[in-house]
Amino acid sequence: MSKQWRRHWRRGTFLPYLLLAPAVVLLAGMVYPFGLGVYYSLTSYWLQYPNRFRFVWFDNYVDLLEEPLFVRALEFTLGFTLVAVVLQVGLGLAVALFLHARIPGRAAIRALMLMPLMIPPVITALMWKIMMASTNAGILNYALSFLGLGPINWFGSTQGAIVSVLIIDTWGNLPFVALILLGGLQALPTEPYEAARVDGAGPIAMLRYVTLPLLSPFIVLAVTFRAMDSLRIFDVIYATTTGGPNDATTNLQIMAYQYSFQWYQMGKGMAQAIVLLLLVVIVSYLLMRLWNRASESAQ
Amino acid sequence: MKARAMTYQRTVRHVVIALASALLLVWTVFPFVWILLTSLKSPADILSVPPTFTFTPTIDNYAALVVGEQRGQYSSTRPDFPRFFLNSIMISIGAVALSVAAGIPAAYALARFNFPGKNSLAFVLLSFRFVPFIAFVIPLYILYQRLGLYNTHAGLILAYQLITLPFTVWMLRSFFMEIPLEIQEAAKIDGCSWLGVLGRVILPLSAPGIAVTVILGFMFCWNAFNYPLMLAGRQTFPVTVGAIQFISYEQVLWGQMAAATIVAAVPQLLLSLMVQKYIVRGLTMGAVK
Repeated sequence: MSKQWRRHWRRGTFLPYLLLAPAVVLLAGMVYPFGLGVYYSLTSYWLQYPNRFRFVWFDNYVDLLEEPLFVRALEFTLGFTLVAVVLQVGLGLAVALFLHARIPGRAAIRALMLMPLMIPPVITALMWKIMMASTNAGILNYALSFLGLGPINWFGSTQGAIVSVLIIDTWGNLPFVALILLGGLQALPTEPYEAARVDGAGPIAMLRYVTLPLLSPFIVLAVTFRAMDSLRIFDVIYATTTGGPNDATTNLQIMAYQYSFQWYQMGKGMAQAIVLLLLVVIVSYLLMRLWNRASESAQ
Repeated sequence: MKARAMTYQRTVRHVVIALASALLLVWTVFPFVWILLTSLKSPADILSVPPTFTFTPTIDNYAALVVGEQRGQYSSTRPDFPRFFLNSIMISIGAVALSVAAGIPAAYALARFNFPGKNSLAFVLLSFRFVPFIAFVIPLYILYQRLGLYNTHAGLILAYQLITLPFTVWMLRSFFMEIPLEIQEAAKIDGCSWLGVLGRVILPLSAPGIAVTVILGFMFCWNAFNYPLMLAGRQTFPVTVGAIQFISYEQVLWGQMAAATIVAAVPQLLLSLMVQKYIVRGLTMGAVK
């Protein structure tokens, strides 16, 4: 060991890397397959026909452009994310403002709202599948009949399936948004409110010009987490519609799953997975920029 | 006259608040109530039109879940639910133990040392929170088949590191960073090495934070569905994958599925009581405290 190395060792220059080593090795062991997957995405890889394996460059990606299902899955992925985020953040903001207004029983409601949040999403889906079950015996259709609506063919019709997935996802994740925003509301400074009151601002003006700007970093944070999770929603769709009917609820992740685990076309499935990954990266980059702006303007 | 208008307004306000609270409560709690009721119904009661709230409760669904046998009109697909439950516990504990063992030194390094590449490493770890699982599971599936890790507890524990390890490191880092630097410096002056600082200062002071991390990590493992769906087989299915086994092409065993969802959800509900205050922090990997 040379003198220089020994000095580094004594000073502990390597120590942090040594401490990180187990975690990095573990993750690298899991990321290495991903590198392999990138390679597979450039091959024609059928699991049950190993002798058909060959390197095809970007054929799998080019094929996607001509695949009608891909265009629909991409549309559904983006459309679902947009609607889910707007719906959940909008409702979540309403719930947060409501709970913030010192209503009686707030602590109990807040505690109960953790229940949908912490059970497995696939279990959430199965619970709703039971409630949305057959058009006649399902409790939801029964409840709607009192309003003179329905019966709705929840999972059997195109629109019904999309709405169902949206409802189930919202039930599971509304508490997440509401709790983030409630936490944000409770952390807001009081001075701007007093200043606004002196200026004679009403409740609406207060919300529009004081609360929302101050809350914007938290809103962007909630939007970010919800958008990233909605882009790759899988459990709920898999357990309820598995992408149907007529591929109406097939998003990119479901499509990649079908290609690779139902039709065993691993190369194509992996190419779709990478497209989704790129989409996630782009959206997260855009949201991060939004977050920087929001936290600057809230200062 | 004005006073009466005021009380009128106040009454309206109270009614609106009460209605909104009731709506929020029903929306949140009713699904649980209904599934609990469904899990206690016989097949005939489950299929009754209109749905019934009054029925003779039966534990047959839970019994079928445990013994998986044919009981009268109950046909079960024998999904071995007790084994799935045990699998969930084993895999979750294994994954969390591995993550905490590797995560404590890593979090300590990220919280207390300055070194080149620190921030990018932390960022890479965070980005795992947002990765679509399918991009990892396809090659893992192929690799696991070759290495004999497919349908093994060890393979699942390793795959779950993608969920728990980044989470554990970020959570522990945020807890470690809350410990005042002065205490650490004082320990160093008293002659503690980095190991002494970690073992005598950081770990004891952040014990509650470590407990929270362990419990939340366990809960995230319990929730995991997509990795085991592809990488586990009948011997290693956790409860989440086990619960969908009640759906087959011929029929859906509604009662048993309801019982299974209750059984799969109860540990989560009990554990979440212990970490109520930290759930949002955990779900955002420490971004919101």
